[in-house]
Amino acid sequence: MLTFTNSHLLLGELDYVEPASVDEACALLAEHAGEARLLAGGTDLLVQLKLERAEARCLIGMRRLPELRRITGEDGLVLGAAATIRSIARSALVRGRYAALQEACEAFSTLQVMVMGTVGGNVCNASPAADTVPALLAFDARAGLRGRHGERAVPLDELFVGPGRTVLHADEMLESLRLAPVSAGTGSAFLKLGRVAADIAKVSVAVRLDREGEHIRDCRVALGAVAPTPVRSGEAERALRGQAPSAALVQDAARAAADEIRPITDVRSTAAYRRHAAGVLVQDAIRRAWARAGGREIR
Amino acid sequence: MRRMIRIRVNGEWRELSVAGNALLLNVLREDEGLTGTKYGCGIGECGACTVRIDGEPVLSCLTLAVAVDGCEVQTVEGLAVDGRLDPLQEAMLDTAAVQCGFCTPGMLMTARALLDETPAPSEQDVRDHMKGNLCRCTGYASIVRAVLEAANRDGGPEMAPKPPALGAPRRSRGAPRTP
Amino acid sequence: MSRRPMNAIGRSAWRRDGVAKVTGAETYASDVVLPRMWHARVLRSPYAHARIESIDTSGAEALGAVCLTFADVPKVKYNERIVSTPPYLYRDRYVLADKARHVGEAIAAVAAPTEALAERALRALKVEYEVLEPLVEPARAMRPGAEPIHATVRLADAEVPIEGNIAVARTIELGDVGAGFAEAAVVLEREYVTSRIYHAQMETKSVVCRPEPDGGITVWPTTQSIHNTRQLLGEIYGLPLHKVNVKRVAIGGTFGSSIQMNSVIPICVGLALKARRPVKLVTTREEDLYDHVRYQTTIGLRLGVTRDGRLTAGHMRVLADIGGHNIQAYPLLSVMAGWWASLYRLPAMKYEGRAVYTNKTPSCAMQGFGNPQVSFAVESLMDELAEALAMDPIEFKLRNYVGLGGTFWGQGPSVQSIIRSDGAPELLRVGAEKIGWSARPAAGSATGRYRRGVGMARGFHTSSAGAPKPGEVIDYTGALVKINEDGSVDVVHAMMDHGGGTLDAIAKIVAEELGVPADRVGISPVDTRTTVYDVVTHATRGVYAGGAAAQRAARRAKAILLDYATRVLGIEADALVIEPDAALGQGVIHCPAVPDKRITVGALAKLCQTNSWGSIAAVESLRPVHCPPAFVTYFVEVEVDTETGAVTTTRAAIGSDCGTVVNPDLARGQLEGGLSKGAGYALYEDARWDAESGELLSRGFWIDSKVPAMSESPPLAGLETFFATTWEPTGPFGAKGIGEAATNPCAAAYANALANALGIRFRELPITPEKILAALQAAR
Repeated sequence: MLTFTNSHLLLGELDYVEPASVDEACALLAEHAGEARLLAGGTDLLVQLKLERAEARCLIGMRRLPELRRITGEDGLVLGAAATIRSIARSALVRGRYAALQEACEAFSTLQVMVMGTVGGNVCNASPAADTVPALLAFDARAGLRGRHGERAVPLDELFVGPGRTVLHADEMLESLRLAPVSAGTGSAFLKLGRVAADIAKVSVAVRLDREGEHIRDCRVALGAVAPTPVRSGEAERALRGQAPSAALVQDAARAAADEIRPITDVRSTAAYRRHAAGVLVQDAIRRAWARAGGREIR
Repeated sequence: MRRMIRIRVNGEWRELSVAGNALLLNVLREDEGLTGTKYGCGIGECGACTVRIDGEPVLSCLTLAVAVDGCEVQTVEGLAVDGRLDPLQEAMLDTAAVQCGFCTPGMLMTARALLDETPAPSEQDVRDHMKGNLCRCTGYASIVRAVLEAANRDGGPEMAPKPPALGAPRRSRGAPRTP
Repeated sequence: MSRRPMNAIGRSAWRRDGVAKVTGAETYASDVVLPRMWHARVLRSPYAHARIESIDTSGAEALGAVCLTFADVPKVKYNERIVSTPPYLYRDRYVLADKARHVGEAIAAVAAPTEALAERALRALKVEYEVLEPLVEPARAMRPGAEPIHATVRLADAEVPIEGNIAVARTIELGDVGAGFAEAAVVLEREYVTSRIYHAQMETKSVVCRPEPDGGITVWPTTQSIHNTRQLLGEIYGLPLHKVNVKRVAIGGTFGSSIQMNSVIPICVGLALKARRPVKLVTTREEDLYDHVRYQTTIGLRLGVTRDGRLTAGHMRVLADIGGHNIQAYPLLSVMAGWWASLYRLPAMKYEGRAVYTNKTPSCAMQGFGNPQVSFAVESLMDELAEALAMDPIEFKLRNYVGLGGTFWGQGPSVQSIIRSDGAPELLRVGAEKIGWSARPAAGSATGRYRRGVGMARGFHTSSAGAPKPGEVIDYTGALVKINEDGSVDVVHAMMDHGGGTLDAIAKIVAEELGVPADRVGISPVDTRTTVYDVVTHATRGVYAGGAAAQRAARRAKAILLDYATRVLGIEADALVIEPDAALGQGVIHCPAVPDKRITVGALAKLCQTNSWGSIAAVESLRPVHCPPAFVTYFVEVEVDTETGAVTTTRAAIGSDCGTVVNPDLARGQLEGGLSKGAGYALYEDARWDAESGELLSRGFWIDSKVPAMSESPPLAGLETFFATTWEPTGPFGAKGIGEAATNPCAAAYANALANALGIRFRELPITPEKILAALQAAR
């Protein structure tokens, strides 16, 4: 039965704590067994609490831990989980080299949400439509997790279990995202369709191509809002890998991606539209990424 | 849980006792009597509640008051200094960018943050920055004009030096308001 | 064409409430704070259709809350929009529902010292429902044997039965329709489906009520009419009107959603009276989304035309889905007939309108009141007919439109007047030049992935519901104009300004009439006790009717002033003129033929005071006896990505014939705002309901109820607005209206632009990328 929520207020009583370190945050998570949530930007979690889709007795504020906000370039790109979307969009380490990630962050909702929202929050919210995730998948991001029992790294495409669900343990948190290094021949692009510009994606696509001469040495094709989790299209990647791009090849890859996804009809769009538009965006993103990789125009 | 926090609101340090679940929007409006900041949707879709925290445009409807302990908070009431309007406020009036006025405070806070960061924005910059502030009256064109116009004035030689971002006088606390 | 140089009218200046609005000092209903004030929340039905078996308030009361249920409220059936005259006022609701007729219907309410406590108390209420079949779609509601949503409603002094859930029907037939179609060389018949969009005004419905020691109440509501709110509250709660004081506070947008007294207003009053203390009720956005929408309509339209492009006959069938309550279905069916009859000359016409109750949010007027719907259908079909005749749509429309000397139905068949000013040809000519109409591609000739097209649609809105004789609609207003002892002026006027600048326009009209500088004219804060009646700010009547009333009062105040001037100057009043002197900040009274005799209005007013001659003030009431059409023309250029169906507005040229332009900058803002809301209607917005549960698919959240933002508005370089050079002889200083006209034909212009770009006609709103792509694929 429908319950009318009250978005004026947060109804439940809340404790709020700011840990001094990641270890302390993990300890707090364990201590509050299931009743604590990590609060980063709040643009997802507080909405869910207001709309009574989530519950928490204690919020653990993560925004002020400097080590979690850092963006560094050692051996690829490392994003602290609490790095804001805006800080990533504007980072000199991201610009150009990780174009798809930059574009995903620039297409992210609104300025206010970019300022508040964090990449870790976007990932852990585990929305099928999360804007940063296809771009992160395109760069083989590995999620650095830390819990009371130590650290582990999980490839991002193994992190998501379903809408809103990840493999994180109750006392475990996302500490960082490590993106693979890019080479001079790497090009990438992110494209998204919404109902309006500031919107959750109806469909999104990120493509990364590594060019070697006239050929695609390696590639990633990842899509959002077309399956229960953001997904890579293995078929599209297989179609492209080792090939010299041509109009026909790009079309084949797009068709493969469109066939592989499992879009649904909801209030935002239809399954048929999503399937078609995903193919279009895959083609457009491949062409852009190839141009950025220094490749010749695809005919 | 209640907790004492210190925040600097429009230039003045305030010590406040707030509940753990209190939202900054409600603390500003109800405890501080700063009703210029508006509730529009409560879930970050409309931008009417935008304030600046340490200079950044933030949705006060999705911000816990306890989480901004120690921060600078600027609201629309803090834009004019000693009764002198900010050039952006003047430009909004000059271009008739204010109709019902309910989105105006949020628009001003987002736009002021943009101009402080990007003194000469392009039209596209304005649109990208402000797409999170909904307005149902104006169709936005006059607001875009106002921001571009204010950018000209901010940089113009005839303008006096820009007043500090914070430091405006504030209304007395929690005063009843009857029009 | 202005008749004389004007000092105040036609000049832009900071709006009078501008500084308050840019500094956060403006007070909206939701900002009002009173000592001892409690906060209220409303329990809303989770079911679309249900009988209420019982309500247990004990849990809420144990928390210290005051509760209000159907048992507590006066058993007065009312219609919340008292603009129709009593024989046409269908009354079907109580303060709290006797039965749930839509998801979100108010069932009970609580007040408590804090909103959080009120929310807890609300959740402690126990309601038992008997769930009935939800009649969410019109077809289901009209099915024989369907449960009546209302068994009877109250009309005048009688309970009248409702058959088949048809709230009201109206048929109008003029001329010989059969013969007209027989004469036609081309007959086209099409069906148009318009969407049910949400007003999306920025401020949610809010109200504060304070019970007074004398047994009366003071109310600060979001409303478009303080006087109608007062009358309804007096009627419902049995209070004499002098004890019901409704204050005018700023309103955060409305677009028609507060013509009627908002449902939360009498609920808040009931709680305040019961709690014996001030109560504030601010609805959440999720409640507001379940509170009001534009009328959804399905329009069957058939038009016949001769080979040389002359319309011979028309047949329009309207089915309007009104939701769970009849707020204004009868006038809706009337005005839709009127908009249609007034767009193009039809020697023979048949109009059949039906309004059906469904278990959804009640529909109400939204900017244009049936006009955007009719304009979408008519302007689409006229475009298609022009194509069939191989005629330029501009030429075809000019050949048939109702212009100078024609009859305009300003508010259905009972509100008609003769058109005395007509800027339509000028708007079409100038707009065509600005957009490059003659260079537009042939329909469907564009190739490639990105295709551009240009579309045009024209229309109008009425200026007021004025007419020579009383009809089905109440329309009169009034004003008090008072010249202060320093020569400044107070205007006391009950009208609401929704933000469009109505009150500034009124101030300028008074300044112009009196000959004082515009910045010396103030608009008084008002309430119902200190003002004479104004019906409501709607029907684009603010400047035309409200301004005319103020002008009439100013004229009489001026006569009093000039009589005193005669006393002082020794010159006949008829020989005196008043002109503003900006340097003095005063109006100066003088006689051009006798240059040495002059006195400022301030000096004279001071003499009136010190000599105890009396006040210089006048109060007037005014009934408009005309309803001139404010014409408007839209030219829109779109670009379509034929791979994704995405549409971009690249250019727009919007022309308005509002007679004399009183506030040039705000008038431009009306047109630009009209484009944004019109584009939302055309391309983006649609409040969709689950056909089984009767819940909104958006679930009441703006996340999934998108309206255009800054990114969706066209680039400044591509956006042009312009005004016809007309003078309305019946309007104040030649002015007529603009507000609702500003959006009416917009959706049709988009549909025509898409037809031009793609060669495909879209007849269902909104025209989403999903629909465009499906149509393109079907056409391939």
